[in-house]
Amino acid sequence: MDLKQALIIIISGMLGTVGFSVLFRSDKHRIICNAVGGALTCVVYVICCRYFDHLFAQNFFPAVFATAYAEIMARIMQAPATPILACSIIPLVPGGKLYYTTYYFVMSQMDSFDASLSDTLKISAGLAVGIICISVVVHEITRHKFKQILDVE
Amino acid sequence: MTFDFLRYYNHYVFVCEKNREGFALLAGEQREMDERYLEKVLSLALDLGKSMVKCGAEINRVEETVLRIAYAYKIEKTEVFSIVSMIQATVIDSENHTHTQMRRIYSYSTNFGRLEKLNALSRKICAETPDLDLAREELEKICRDGKKFDGKVCLGYMLAAAAFTFFFGGNLWDSAAAAPIAAVIYLMQTYIKASGMSRLLFTALTSAVSGSLAMLFVHIGFGSHADMIMIGDIMLLIPGLMLINSVREMLCGDLMSGLLRLLESVILAMSIACGYAIPIVASGIFG
Repeated sequence: MDLKQALIIIISGMLGTVGFSVLFRSDKHRIICNAVGGALTCVVYVICCRYFDHLFAQNFFPAVFATAYAEIMARIMQAPATPILACSIIPLVPGGKLYYTTYYFVMSQMDSFDASLSDTLKISAGLAVGIICISVVVHEITRHKFKQILDVE
Repeated sequence: MTFDFLRYYNHYVFVCEKNREGFALLAGEQREMDERYLEKVLSLALDLGKSMVKCGAEINRVEETVLRIAYAYKIEKTEVFSIVSMIQATVIDSENHTHTQMRRIYSYSTNFGRLEKLNALSRKICAETPDLDLAREELEKICRDGKKFDGKVCLGYMLAAAAFTFFFGGNLWDSAAAAPIAAVIYLMQTYIKASGMSRLLFTALTSAVSGSLAMLFVHIGFGSHADMIMIGDIMLLIPGLMLINSVREMLCGDLMSGLLRLLESVILAMSIACGYAIPIVASGIFG
């Protein structure tokens, strides 16, 4: 992946994030925060693509980054983390792979279908595990403080 | 002396009875008011929770909001259970009066701006415990729907589709072709989905229409890669938020709603695939 390609990915990823923030009707001042998140996630993705061959790793680390970013920004801005996470992780969603999976299935090219289906699953697994890794830590720190108070009573 | 005593005694009895009557009356009123109070607090909490689920909040957050609001209004004990399509809660006061309500949620559309406002409102309610009618007014003000067609959101759809067409390797013409298709998707989502069509069927229909449009555009020479245009538009339909929420919910122990969301997003992905398969097959036959 050369520099030009990397720049295309980062810039169009950021624009896509802005589009999705507007689409999800985020507030104006959140859009900048989401756009920065999307762009940085793309940067991490580009770096990972350079150093790892495996699709899982290529998507795992950006997902870890995006989740950490969302949780930190949510604490700073006193807002829920999910909106920031949902917008900044969008560039990693395997839309292209889903399309090719369908395409090869319809065209009955079963070898290519198998390959792209397993790619889709690998990417999704990378994203899910990445989100889980950070969420587990955050969840354990802030775990149900309130529900526990109620139960003790 | 005797007369005096009798008079005083009578007076005493009279006063006592009056008081007892008064107390009885007061207690009755109190209880009636309590039940009304329980009902009002619970319905405020549940309506707020329902609006939050509709905007795309995690279940954990919704349950906690209901608990916190009930706690802020000095309700002894609250039990709440929620999945993506339903919230149910019971409040119990110190004299063991209970009150139960539920809310059923049929449709949801992501609206993070509203979600944040609802979150701020719930924080405010817990901090200040304002008058219940006042809080409800605020809630209704937030949830009031504006005009149906929102040009800004439509632009968001177009920008997202164009950017992702470019992201996945299309050229600038492909991006330009993806934008009007995204606008069509937005129009379908505002006008057809509102008519109560099932989500699955609707997603398949939208996919089929946008796929056919992409094929048509390439056929008339507007944009050169039909697959890239379609990928850009697929990104708009993929239930990404649902998947994220499902993973996070399962982690927080809300297995039920996590599984429901996971199942729904897998089924939606399949219906997107079916929808896009139609124009691909058609182009294979006719093109």
